Amino acid sequence: MHPSETVINDYVDEALESPERADERRALVAHLDGCESCRRLVEDLRGIRRVAGSLDLREPPVRVWSRIERAIALEPRAADAQGDARLRGSRYNLMGLAAAAVVALATVVGVRYGLTTRSTSETADSVVRATSDDAMSVEAELREAESHYDKAIKGLEQITKAEQGTFDSATAATLQKNLAVIDQAINESRAAVVAQPASEPARESLMENFKAKLGLLQDTVALINEMRKGNEAGTARIVSGLNKKG
Amino acid sequence: MSAIRQRPPIPFPSNKATVSQAGQPADADLVARCQAGDAEAFELIYRRHAARLYSLACRMAGSPEDGEDLLQEIFLQAYRKLGSFKGDAALGTWIYRLALNHCLDFVRSRQAKMNKLTESLDAEAAIEPTGKRETPIARIDLDRALERLPDGCREAFVLHDVEGLDHKEVAALLGIAEGTSKSQVFKARLKLRALLT
Repeated sequence: MHPSETVINDYVDEALESPERADERRALVAHLDGCESCRRLVEDLRGIRRVAGSLDLREPPVRVWSRIERAIALEPRAADAQGDARLRGSRYNLMGLAAAAVVALATVVGVRYGLTTRSTSETADSVVRATSDDAMSVEAELREAESHYDKAIKGLEQITKAEQGTFDSATAATLQKNLAVIDQAINESRAAVVAQPASEPARESLMENFKAKLGLLQDTVALINEMRKGNEAGTARIVSGLNKKG
Repeated sequence: MSAIRQRPPIPFPSNKATVSQAGQPADADLVARCQAGDAEAFELIYRRHAARLYSLACRMAGSPEDGEDLLQEIFLQAYRKLGSFKGDAALGTWIYRLALNHCLDFVRSRQAKMNKLTESLDAEAAIEPTGKRETPIARIDLDRALERLPDGCREAFVLHDVEGLDHKEVAALLGIAEGTSKSQVFKARLKLRALLT
């Protein structure tokens, strides 16, 4: 008879070492001597435990700090309350502009979430009654979302255009190429929405493409910041990411 | 609908505490500089602790994408709360506690949304490996396999086997019995064994 899950688990966790559990330990060790499947199980579980305890740390992508910086630029600062203006460094001006785009994005996500929750919670009767109203409402919300994305994208485009001279020709070309691909995808999905206004996949695709463009522009702003800071490693990581997207 | 649980104090695994490198400003100095309005100091705090917390967030959430979002939220919360940080605990302990709370809230909220019961995973966990493993388990393979563990047993496994908390601490954090913590970790190990063979 094989030992219980509890005993094997405790043995793997080295919890059978106490004198009170010496008998359990001896019985298990004796069983393991003659049972290959249990012995393999214990070896494998010990290996998993050992490796799990020595996993490498993961380095977060550079864009995470850039996003935090942008969000911080929107925060009421502790230093402001103390009349200290030291946090108002020039590097945060760029962040403040980009932060407006993030706020716009959050609004868009809110709009989309509202659409989903409402459509799943309504009863069949009310859906029938409200079909025409909803179609108009969906269109209006789609227009609103598009308008928010447009504003966010325009804001970031202004920043990146103003700083375009910062990039070397290869990076500038990669950025242009990536933007052109996304713009084409936006145009195509927009045409699909016009042709089939009720198509959920078409609307989703348009929003995804807007999101992709916003993400690319955010990465571009992050790149500008890393270059300004003279962070070569951060710059290289972002450029590598841009190349992969291209 | 589950009742709101009183959250127990969160321990910090001592074997993984962040240690300042020689020549680098101490955490206490960075906190003081942040509180005085030095933006660069907050970035240094981020650089020092981000990898540790990103690793925790990715593994608890089971995806790098969610890990990124969580890391951003954790540091924004740290930025907001740093003004009231009194230094009763080390900065690493304080920020780890904050991160762990955030990760647990995220996982609970996702579980509530998906109405997912970990008890239903019993059958799935009892998977036998298809063959005998000939080579040692690579860290990168195990890290990837973690993402395929079901919610519930993944959190218990990450807290116990990766983060080094004992079952009593894991049980208190997850609001489960100590025996359930042991059982969830065992299930996770069995599932990983099957995935890695």
